[in-house]
Amino acid sequence: MSNTEDHKIIEGIATGNKLVITAFYKKNLPYIRHYILQNSGNEEDVEDVFQDAMVFIYQKLKTDSLELQSSLRTYFYGVCKNIWRNRLRKIKKLVITEDLQTDAESIPPKIIEDIEHKEREHIYRKHFLNLSGTCREVLSLLFQGNSMKEIARITGYSEGYTRKKKFECKQSLIEMIENDPFYHELQLNSEKD
Amino acid sequence: MERTPEIFEKIEGYLANTLSQEDLVAFEKEMANSIELQQEVEKHRAIHETLGDKDILNFKEQLGEISIDIKEEKKITSSFIPSSSWKIAASIIVLLGIGSLIWRTTTSRNQTQNLYSSYYKPLPVNDMVRGSFDTITEVKSIIKHYINGSYDSVVLALEKHPKLAEQQQLQLYLGNSYLNLNEEQKAASQFKEIKKKGKYYEIAQWYLSLTYLKLNKPKKATSILKEIVGYDGVYKKQASNLLKALAK
Repeated sequence: MSNTEDHKIIEGIATGNKLVITAFYKKNLPYIRHYILQNSGNEEDVEDVFQDAMVFIYQKLKTDSLELQSSLRTYFYGVCKNIWRNRLRKIKKLVITEDLQTDAESIPPKIIEDIEHKEREHIYRKHFLNLSGTCREVLSLLFQGNSMKEIARITGYSEGYTRKKKFECKQSLIEMIENDPFYHELQLNSEKD
Repeated sequence: MERTPEIFEKIEGYLANTLSQEDLVAFEKEMANSIELQQEVEKHRAIHETLGDKDILNFKEQLGEISIDIKEEKKITSSFIPSSSWKIAASIIVLLGIGSLIWRTTTSRNQTQNLYSSYYKPLPVNDMVRGSFDTITEVKSIIKHYINGSYDSVVLALEKHPKLAEQQQLQLYLGNSYLNLNEEQKAASQFKEIKKKGKYYEIAQWYLSLTYLKLNKPKKATSILKEIVGYDGVYKKQASNLLKALAK
């Protein structure tokens, strides 16, 4: 892949260009699917890893900290593989073999640390997006720093209903997160550290 | 710790820095005496911080939509079986003179893609003569990547490999890697590099025919498959079966 092509894709991802992102998705998903399915994963894992790696790159672009020492595709595959290895390791399915460790798509240790650090964030986002539209609306406004009064005004709900809904939605979100087996493993691992 | 609306209100007030001085002191005292409450506050803090970034959430949501679109598109392509209304529509188009062309192109593409999926298996490493590799660490590492499905790594290592032209096994690995990375044109060129004199010619021809199948060029694939049948080697049976399937 040429630098010009990479540049176009990077620009497309940064600006949320649907055509560019769709083309990138279609082109690279089969490779990631093959890798994850070959290494104890399922179709849901494939989508999760692929999207979380895209978000990782998007975050790097937003903070202007994407440093490519290889092609974008190589970097992206490296991120996907590291995310997946991390997850396998956490759920103890991975017997770390030399085969999985030695990889030309390896990425700098700092990035591997970043990937690990972002794991909780991926879980939060995944479950948040599984909430109902009303819950997402109310909680989004709360997370952006709005008071109950402001949320009630913006949504048109009564303040009492807004408070009730906010509590139910947030409680349900926390429970979903806590019931995620991977979150549980992250907690256990951080307690050990 | 039981979660109640009151506790949530206090935590949110604490995080937003909107508690009165009196409430703040009381809450901090409560936290100091309860590890559970401290953990709960940290949980809320992390969730607020992560999900407060609307931009990233929107991007993640967009990815979910794109994924659904791609799956839908795939479903439509793979289940292209005409319902009665489709038959009516198709008949009208046929009458107009262009329908049959569209129909044939689409079904032919589906057929070739399905056949490719059924017949393609990456060239197994066991099939290769491994003796010459065992002393070369670099090549062993390439094989590991190939076995792991790290095709991008194989391409990176082999594209400019100085011994590529001499090692037909490596050329086959590279061709297979291209195929798995959806770079069919490069795969075809790679398989064509393996000339008739070599003992890997038949293998290369088999994968070249599958490459053409993937490219939806059944005529080219058929011509190579006939040659493989005539070659009377290990791929004769598979080539013959694939030819029959293509003729249907």
